[in-house]
Amino acid sequence: MSNKKTISIILGIMCFALTLGICVQVRTIRSTNSTIGQNQEANELRDEILRYKERYDNRFKELEEAEQELEKQREEATQNNSELEEAQQKITAGNKITGITEVTGPGVTITLSDGKGIATSTLNPSQLIVHDLDVLSVVNELINAGAEAICINDQRWVSTTAISCRGNTIDINGERIGAPFIIKAIGLPEYLAGLERVGGYLEYMKRDGVGVTLEKSNSITIPKYSGVINFEYLQNVEE
Amino acid sequence: MIEKMKKGKIAMTITIGIACFALVTVMMMQFKVVNETDITAIEDMQESELKTELANWKTRYEEIDAQYQETTQRIEEYKNDEASNNEASRLVQEELEQTNTLLGLTDVHGEGIVITLKSGSDAAAISADDLLIIVNALKFAGAEAISINDERIINTTDIVDILDGSFIKVNGQRILEPYVIKVIGNQSHLESSVTGNGGKVEELQTLGHTATIEKDNDITIGKYNGEIETKYIE
Repeated sequence: MSNKKTISIILGIMCFALTLGICVQVRTIRSTNSTIGQNQEANELRDEILRYKERYDNRFKELEEAEQELEKQREEATQNNSELEEAQQKITAGNKITGITEVTGPGVTITLSDGKGIATSTLNPSQLIVHDLDVLSVVNELINAGAEAICINDQRWVSTTAISCRGNTIDINGERIGAPFIIKAIGLPEYLAGLERVGGYLEYMKRDGVGVTLEKSNSITIPKYSGVINFEYLQNVEE
Repeated sequence: MIEKMKKGKIAMTITIGIACFALVTVMMMQFKVVNETDITAIEDMQESELKTELANWKTRYEEIDAQYQETTQRIEEYKNDEASNNEASRLVQEELEQTNTLLGLTDVHGEGIVITLKSGSDAAAISADDLLIIVNALKFAGAEAISINDERIINTTDIVDILDGSFIKVNGQRILEPYVIKVIGNQSHLESSVTGNGGKVEELQTLGHTATIEKDNDITIGKYNGEIETKYIE
């Protein structure tokens, strides 16, 4: 008798699990249909994008290795010539500033996340969201506080970096980024932490209900720029 | 008889066990697929968006590939010319010039636009944020070099209001009106990024400020005045 009960219970659980599985399945198929299944051309575009992303990722890794190799070759070629050695050191130092190489150092990590507060009549819901101009202002203040290298969600801030709004996400270096925004900066942590001062931009955002945290750290790593700075219109003035 | 019943029960239990296991495995797979479907942002995109995204990744791949080819070629040149001091010198100087151009330590010229801004007497003065937004828009439109009142904009340039907006500092240097913003890049892209609906320059005009935009086929933008010093990055 008790055995029968066990079997019934097991069968019951199985039936339930099966139903759940089928429900999930049906829902997925329905949502998939609306975006993927419908359109063969869109599917091909998605495949193509993924293929290019992969090719980009592979080349990017190879480029990183090649740049290290180049630095080694350059060091070897210049080691017996003090004038050239100086030039080589300038190149290496310059690459760190322009974003061609990854850098580490002391600094701060600032996290900006969309507020969870409930929009009331006095609170504009738009104030709870981190906007492109918020990120731009924080970067500007970090530079003002002496930041030497900055990245936003691992996108390196270089001389041509712009931050622009793209619906409910923002676009940095051609990549789409959503909240929370993690802004890392290298510089004197005490100065950079000054962004938390009363009347500063971070406090202003906090008052609006945006989630703001700032952490000092002795070792922050900021990755290399994910793209290439190319000049199409610009030329150096010949001397 | 009892033996037979026992055997039947064992067989049944095992069958149910295997069935359960199979079911769980299939469901796990199912959940994984569902999860992945949600994560990939490109699944939600419309066709036109996908085309833009594809063009974006194509360009990014091509740029990184070109850079890779250039770098490997350089490595080869260094390897081949190790014996010759002159060649090594030429290569290093060439690289240094490129680095300095990227840093903003060279005078540059090219086609672009010049924006001139002057605060209107009836409105609150043009602020550092206004300039910051204009510079950001210009960069988004592909600006290759920018200066405000001959202060070159580099990656560590800050634009801030001093003393509650009585004046503006760029690169730590005080600048005075009128603000002259020189930009090198594609003229029509640059112009449309600050004019039209939502364009910052047009918005300033609406507020009562004076703003002019001029196209120029050969603008010269001076190098960054000063040394770029770093103490903390390694």
